[in-house]
Amino acid sequence: MSYTLPDKLRTTVVGSYPYFPEAIKAFQLRKRGDRGPEYETLVREATKKAVMDYLDAGIDILADGEQRREDMAVFFAEELGGFEISEPVRIFDNVYFRKPVITGKICWKHEITVEDWRYASSLAAGRPMKVTLTGPYTMFSWSFDKFYGDMRGVILDLAEAYRKEIEVLARAGAIFIQIDEPALSTRAEKRDVLVAGEAFEIMFGGLDNVKRITHICYGRLERLFPEIMDFPIDQYDFETKNRNYELLDLLKEYSFDKELALGVIDVHNSRVETVEEIMNGIARGLELLPPEKLYIKPDCGLKRLKRETALAKLKNMVKAAGRAREELA
Amino acid sequence: MRLHAGICGSFPRPPALRKAFDDLSEDRIGEGEFKRILMECTRDVVRLQEKAGMTILTSGLLLWHDLFRPFTRGLEGLEAGRLIRFFDNNFYYRCPTIIRRIRWRKPITREEVQEAKKSSRELVKAIIPGPFTFLKLSENRFYASEDELLDDLIEALMAEVGALKDSADLIQVDEPSLVDPELGRAERLRGVDIVNEFLSRLGIPSDKVVVATYFNLDPERYATLLDLRAGLHVDLKSTPTEADLALREHVFDGPILSLGIIDSRSIYPEDPREVVYRVKTYMDSISPETLIFSTSSWLDYIPYNEAVRRLDALGRILAEAEVRFI
Repeated sequence: MSYTLPDKLRTTVVGSYPYFPEAIKAFQLRKRGDRGPEYETLVREATKKAVMDYLDAGIDILADGEQRREDMAVFFAEELGGFEISEPVRIFDNVYFRKPVITGKICWKHEITVEDWRYASSLAAGRPMKVTLTGPYTMFSWSFDKFYGDMRGVILDLAEAYRKEIEVLARAGAIFIQIDEPALSTRAEKRDVLVAGEAFEIMFGGLDNVKRITHICYGRLERLFPEIMDFPIDQYDFETKNRNYELLDLLKEYSFDKELALGVIDVHNSRVETVEEIMNGIARGLELLPPEKLYIKPDCGLKRLKRETALAKLKNMVKAAGRAREELA
Repeated sequence: MRLHAGICGSFPRPPALRKAFDDLSEDRIGEGEFKRILMECTRDVVRLQEKAGMTILTSGLLLWHDLFRPFTRGLEGLEAGRLIRFFDNNFYYRCPTIIRRIRWRKPITREEVQEAKKSSRELVKAIIPGPFTFLKLSENRFYASEDELLDDLIEALMAEVGALKDSADLIQVDEPSLVDPELGRAERLRGVDIVNEFLSRLGIPSDKVVVATYFNLDPERYATLLDLRAGLHVDLKSTPTEADLALREHVFDGPILSLGIIDSRSIYPEDPREVVYRVKTYMDSISPETLIFSTSSWLDYIPYNEAVRRLDALGRILAEAEVRFI
């Protein structure tokens, strides 16, 4: 089955989708060290439901909903060499999470995301399936380091490990490969941005058969400029709705002319945006870039929303993109 | 020069207390049982510090959800608002929201400090959020003027310190906003004035009060902090190069200097001998009556088991320093 992508204002998602009960049950099995057939069946069931919802909403470029990943850093730490997982660390109130601990040299051991990408692609009715990887800077920031004592060393070794994963994905046929770097905008010191840039060179340098994407959200996005524009990235996926599209003014200032995945849905608010409201957001994006370079998507992953809310938001987003396309025709 | 070692503020909650919090919120245990577990854990954490060789102890602040919460709950006129990132940490606090006039009603932290005092023969340090940081990180929905707000806030914090006088040997006033890189110089200078006013109204000798700053330090900020009329705690780990420069460029001649030389946000192993060697190189520019070896900030950012290791490292640093400094 083939699917022809629209030539303008393509819709996509950042990655995660609300967890289905099967995913929650799979997390419990995984925590007990049980990754047998029952675990795999549960993950696949949850993945199937997420992909079906994305299809139901009418998204052009899908993702697998990250139903296998309880936490975006811990998941990769459990699959890469050089990591262990810590005892619980407080995040607020009496809420705790486990944090990766770097205890040895970081290395790629085996394929991490390829099988999930293949499976999700088989359900996608010909639509492209995006792969998301938690970026090296974010992995470093959200881990404890007991081995390197050197931020750059950690980040570059992580980038080398991801390069291997990306090459495997590219060989398997994945086109849309996204590196998620939400932590990059937390401190956004210049030296951090420069090291992140080196990491992107390692991960994406010389790759011309994939769409190289990075997703960065919240925090001090403005501090990443102008260095970030020199990264080997084809598409920048930013959170823009939550900050009332103010970031677009900054992009204009820097004559931004790469592809932009524009966040038009607030993922931390359960209110479903109206089609008109989303169209207004798209119009803001069109003031900056031609529609061929503008992708329409939520600000961030949808996992914190209720499924019904997430789906309703996505449906309105797809409607809005469709109407905007008609207006442009 | 007297040498001491002690953590900057909180200690991670022991597993039993984490569970007790959950059990309490799910009504599986009552307030009485929760309090019994809390006090038992407080005694355990005090003993851990003592065993590791700390000579200045805290209660571990085990009940505190964040820097403000016991006060948001204990003071009149405040409520806990939305979650906000605490500086550049993956840790969030509930914004103190001022909805009515702020008033102190009764002691808020005295019981835990008394418990620490009863459980140990070492010095006990009580902690309160400072007025400037409280002001910067809260949301005012009541006061027409910031001066009125500050006046009431300072009165309330003074009353709390008054209630702690008999049980605490040392008062630590936490003021991380004084070194917040997001604030300009003028704002920082105003912050120092506010804290100095608070300190003068407290009326406690300057060798009994420490103003704690963390998550940042550079020569310009450090120079500003030197105008504080109290002891000072500085974080030497979050911005190590700039902090190092700060300590070498400016002379500290206050009564107490607490050096955050063990990183409380990392679990990377520290070599006590290297740490002591580094501190010795500052001796040309620091001459406090009391030098405290401490963690860079609170220990909430690392797991319990790693915090125990950090304590052990701090104890070894003090032992090493006692040999090298004499």
